[in-house]
Amino acid sequence: MGQRSYMMRKVVNAILTIVLVASFNFVLFRIMPGNPARLLLPRGKVSASDIERQRHAFHLDKPLAEQFLYYWGDTVQLKFGYSFYQKRPVTTVIAERIWATIILCGLGTILATLFGMSEGVIAGWRRGKRFDTWSTDISMINYSMPTFWQCLLAIMFFSVALRWFPVGGEFEPLQHFHMWGPIPLDWSTFETLTYHITLPVLMFALGYYGEYHLIMRSSITGVMNEDYVLTARAKGVSPDSVLWKHVVPNALLPTVTLVMMNLGFIVSGAILVETVFNWPGIGLLSYESMAERDYPVMQAVFLLGCVAVIVANLIADVMLYYIDPRVKA
Amino acid sequence: MLELLRYPKTISATSGLGTIVRGFFAPTIGNYPPLFLLIIAALFVAGGVVSFVRRSAAPRLAVALLVTGAVFAGWGLINGGAFTHAGFSLAGRTGTFTWLWQTAALILCGVCVWAWAASHPERAALTVDNLSETWALFRGNRQGMLGLGIIVAFVALGLLAPFIADHARLASDAQYGHLPFEPPRWSYYYIMGTDEQGLSVWAEFVWSARISLSVGLMATAISTLLGASIGIAAGYYGGWMGEFWMRITDAFLVIPWLPLAMVLAAVWGHNYVVIIFIIGVTSWPGTARIVRSDALRVASLPFVERGRAIGSSGWHIMRKHILTNVFPLIFANTILVVAIAIIAETELSFLGLGDPLNFSWGTMLHNAWGSGGATLPAWWYIIPPGLAIVCVVLAFTFVGTAFDEILDPKLRSREGLSGRHRGRPSALDNLATAVATATVGGAVAGPGQGDIPTERRGVGD
Repeated sequence: MGQRSYMMRKVVNAILTIVLVASFNFVLFRIMPGNPARLLLPRGKVSASDIERQRHAFHLDKPLAEQFLYYWGDTVQLKFGYSFYQKRPVTTVIAERIWATIILCGLGTILATLFGMSEGVIAGWRRGKRFDTWSTDISMINYSMPTFWQCLLAIMFFSVALRWFPVGGEFEPLQHFHMWGPIPLDWSTFETLTYHITLPVLMFALGYYGEYHLIMRSSITGVMNEDYVLTARAKGVSPDSVLWKHVVPNALLPTVTLVMMNLGFIVSGAILVETVFNWPGIGLLSYESMAERDYPVMQAVFLLGCVAVIVANLIADVMLYYIDPRVKA
Repeated sequence: MLELLRYPKTISATSGLGTIVRGFFAPTIGNYPPLFLLIIAALFVAGGVVSFVRRSAAPRLAVALLVTGAVFAGWGLINGGAFTHAGFSLAGRTGTFTWLWQTAALILCGVCVWAWAASHPERAALTVDNLSETWALFRGNRQGMLGLGIIVAFVALGLLAPFIADHARLASDAQYGHLPFEPPRWSYYYIMGTDEQGLSVWAEFVWSARISLSVGLMATAISTLLGASIGIAAGYYGGWMGEFWMRITDAFLVIPWLPLAMVLAAVWGHNYVVIIFIIGVTSWPGTARIVRSDALRVASLPFVERGRAIGSSGWHIMRKHILTNVFPLIFANTILVVAIAIIAETELSFLGLGDPLNFSWGTMLHNAWGSGGATLPAWWYIIPPGLAIVCVVLAFTFVGTAFDEILDPKLRSREGLSGRHRGRPSALDNLATAVATATVGGAVAGPGQGDIPTERRGVGD
């Protein structure tokens, strides 16, 4: 398959999936029981004129097919309506919160990938030795734990008992970050940021560490059963060279897809960590908007989460094209 | 210690058989949502009608199925409040005589099995043979037996809850004179301290086992049904149909399930039917991918082609040939999915989407966190539910992996061939591989690309 046709196919697939998911988003918020315009307004007493205005703003007074066109027009222009809880446009609300999530999840993913994967490589290489049994047992237990429970335990131990870190709580500096603006990062901000972010980042990393370890380990042991590893050993390649030149590059391939997919999920997947630590990111935003029934925000966050996963998958496919010669063949 | 034995439960074990049986099927157990009961009834009736229509089947089986269906339907109608002033509602929970209904339904299910065995003696004997062989293999697997033991213990805890802890102690207006967040002390109900309302954490813990386990199991049933049927159809039909179903599967694979669940639960209300539905509907793509790749392999085997040549219908081939051959994989995968579903239920309940009136371990943690239990720190309120979740999830993973090893001869032969690695390492291998496959649904199982190698395998054979 030529490069162009491969890329074209992947891009077209991604666009098709985005269209499918966005249409699902449209349907999802219209199959709900009750008047959609009523759902898009706060609970409690609402005047008839408010409902009418909201109906008009969301084009709910038009026929369904026309609504669908309007929905697409608004979505393409990134107009997601008006958050009635925050009393500001949804796009602004999300833009303010997105940096907090990116910093938290970016650092957490780097940590989880580095530790989980390198541990998985060593465990797979020394299969059956003490390091392998211990580290694999620990990651199995870690994998079986709900992330938020780990967070609660960490708060109880590190924040309350040892008083090393703050117990969640308000964190001002990040609220002033804006997606399109400069990041106001001076030394004192940096200090507060480090103080507040350490525990959430560690817990986020712990949430993915076990999975990465297990998958890397099973990938390594799978590759080590291949004939070319035996050949390399037989012709006298040094063990280090076998591991780093023959085994690891091949074992990394499948994990690229996994890491990229998780990268896509973090936009929405940090909900639990952010909620427990009260970290002002997208995850906490979706929790708050669920509690307040702030549907415009929920709709936008849901769509954002889907698109992030699709784009991350596309990037994984493109990366695989360059690092995996079998895809080109 | 004496107090542990003597303490008044809902029903004391010495009050006669009738009381014990009635306590076992207490209303709090039998209160299944009418929707579920009616769906089960419809399945039984459909089965009965099919076996009436088909000439080969025995009428005994058809009658048994129809009667069981009728009992389930009646139970569902009563639970939904039919024949009362309030009228019928699908979500209503006004069960009366639930213990009687449940006993009758259980006995009739047994009668159905017996009727099936009586009308198909050879197949019944074969099934018994296979089961005992599988059990003999399973008993040799230490990890699997450990997991099974843990599961049995927790299932017993859930089923026997009325004998272990009084349900009345969960009511928020129950007055037992205890302060909020009392640390544990040496007494039956307060061995795990008290919660934010001064209620017994132990009683909540016991009753939570029931919800956590049953939600996990029912969600898995939905997920497996969807995933297996879509996977088999996609694998057998290939072409544009297979492509279409795989496109749908991929679309579901990218939907972030937690935000979706939050949206749906916020609208449809906070109850376990919604949670079961959400987990079931969002967790099937992994199963579908795994099943499809195996169905592709089976569909390319000679006996399928022979079946097609003698004019078998697609439905027949999928049911008799492909499902039979893919079944071991589906079964092992199902048990692994239970683990994932239980964690999912816990996460949803922790976010406050669970039923506030029925406790699950996730709801307990939600209450503990929401009332500031973590900053106190009320460790006695936070550690037990979490530990229980870890134990149950690990147990299901162990059992699933054990079945993976038993039912997939490849995993056993690998151990036999390599010889050098026996016991623990290969058990770890299988565990890690099973978890990896179940987590990402085969998305990374192939060499990176996913669809290309399986497609080639399907055509080339």
